[in-house]
Amino acid sequence: MNLVKANNLTLAYNSGVIIKESTFTINEGDFVFLTGVSGSGKTTLIKAMYGEIKPKGLLQIGPYNMGTISKSKLTKLRRHMGIVFQDYKLIPEWNILRNVMLPLFIKGYDKKIAEQKALEVLKKVKLSHKIDKFPAELSGGEQQRAAIARAIIHSPAIILADEPISGLDEYSASLVMDLFIMANKMGITVLIASHSLPGDFNISYKHLHIEKGKIYELS
Amino acid sequence: MNYLKSHITLILALVSILLSIFLFRIFNKILFLYEKNIVNNYSIVIVSTSKIENLNYPEIEKITPIDIKDQIQRLQQKYKNIDFSKIDLPYFYKLTLKKLPSPKKLEKLKERLKQKAFVKRILTHSSSQTKIYNLLMLLKILTKMFMVIVGVLGFLLIVKQLEVWKLSHSERMYIMELFGAPFWLKGAALFKIAILDSLIAIILTVSFVYFITNSFLFTKIISDLNIILQIDYIKEFLLLLVISFSISLISSIIVVVSKK
Ligand SMILES: Nc1ncnc2c1ncn2[C@@H]1O[C@H](COP(=O)(O)OP(=O)(O)OP(=O)(O)O)[C@@H](O)[C@H]1O
Ligand SMILES: [Mg+2]
Repeated sequence: MNLVKANNLTLAYNSGVIIKESTFTINEGDFVFLTGVSGSGKTTLIKAMYGEIKPKGLLQIGPYNMGTISKSKLTKLRRHMGIVFQDYKLIPEWNILRNVMLPLFIKGYDKKIAEQKALEVLKKVKLSHKIDKFPAELSGGEQQRAAIARAIIHSPAIILADEPISGLDEYSASLVMDLFIMANKMGITVLIASHSLPGDFNISYKHLHIEKGKIYELS
Repeated sequence: MNYLKSHITLILALVSILLSIFLFRIFNKILFLYEKNIVNNYSIVIVSTSKIENLNYPEIEKITPIDIKDQIQRLQQKYKNIDFSKIDLPYFYKLTLKKLPSPKKLEKLKERLKQKAFVKRILTHSSSQTKIYNLLMLLKILTKMFMVIVGVLGFLLIVKQLEVWKLSHSERMYIMELFGAPFWLKGAALFKIAILDSLIAIILTVSFVYFITNSFLFTKIISDLNIILQIDYIKEFLLLLVISFSISLISSIIVVVSKK
């Protein structure tokens, strides 16, 4: 089953076209690497997938056409997504625990249960000792791990992770990759944007590559 | 300290708006009661050649005959050689008006009465009447102006508050939106502030007005004016509640809805 379907997809800002007339699909349960050099359009594609920019051509996610999706449908769709932003986008005036709990608040979880879940996930990303710190009090890598915790806490249908391991040391990076693999094993579709493929990666994955404005399905 | 800083603008704006509304209402009530007082004491006397049953003028509240028997008797005792009962005496009537008339309206009324054949004379105390009327009108205009000025100031303060809110809340609301937060959750923090500040503003306003209206000076003025002023504090409180909540909630909704 296609979870994401792009047909003749074109993405552009006022300043110019970034991705032109590209076609690819992502199936439910896929593990996808999206590669391309800096400025090639990885973040742009992810933005289109969570509805921040309107695509031309077809971009379908689940049942929704992202070109015509209504605001209320988009709100619903986003609740099934777990996004790790390249710039993390943690809420500055909330502490880490609260930040990680956000998707559960939105799903209407009871505060106690949400807190318990957040503590579990934070333990997995080795941030248990920083739960009451604010984003500005964390290192870049710690913020990135908090953002990852927030992206997986609510078991979304799809995780969109924009360079989630770029700022991490080898140990933390493998820790995070293991989390994504575990999520994927639970049936969650995972898309990871990065400059290049990881060196050793022993599960099967799909590889999308952006070059000169075109997206190629390599495997 | 921080709390005070982030709340003071909205509370100040709301208090000024609510206070102007509340004081305006009380003042209007005082004016209304006072005007009624004057109208009751104020009258036009007409001297008529025939009996008047009814004068169908919209501005006239009632027409009452003035009993002149006593005066006649006194005159009779003084001038024993005149038989007053044989003289065709005119009828005297007192006209009570519904509202304090403006000098112009009073003139018009007199003109119309004069045109009636049976009206011989009209007696009014015009000059003092004009003065009181003008004073009341001036007070009314001044309170209205006061209310408009304070209202505008309050409005400007609220606009400023909206800017501040936008700055300090837009990032959080944007991130929440990216995770599919519904409208009320995005605005929850703002709505809480709006409701809390409204309550504080209402309590401040009502206690302030309560304090004023029960002050020695105020009660003395009221009793000097010879009126009985009753303020339904529950009703006023509810009215202010509705106004205050509307203003603050609409303001916060504007912030949540508007994109940065
Ligand atoms: N908001 C924007 N308005 C206009 N142009 C933009 C905007 N955001 C990005 N771009 C341009 O789009 C192109 C692709 O940017 P994008 O962020 O998608 O690249 P990327 O592949 O994610 O790069 P990186 O690996 O450095 O994160 C860049 O040339 C960038 O200048
Ligand atoms: Mg990028």
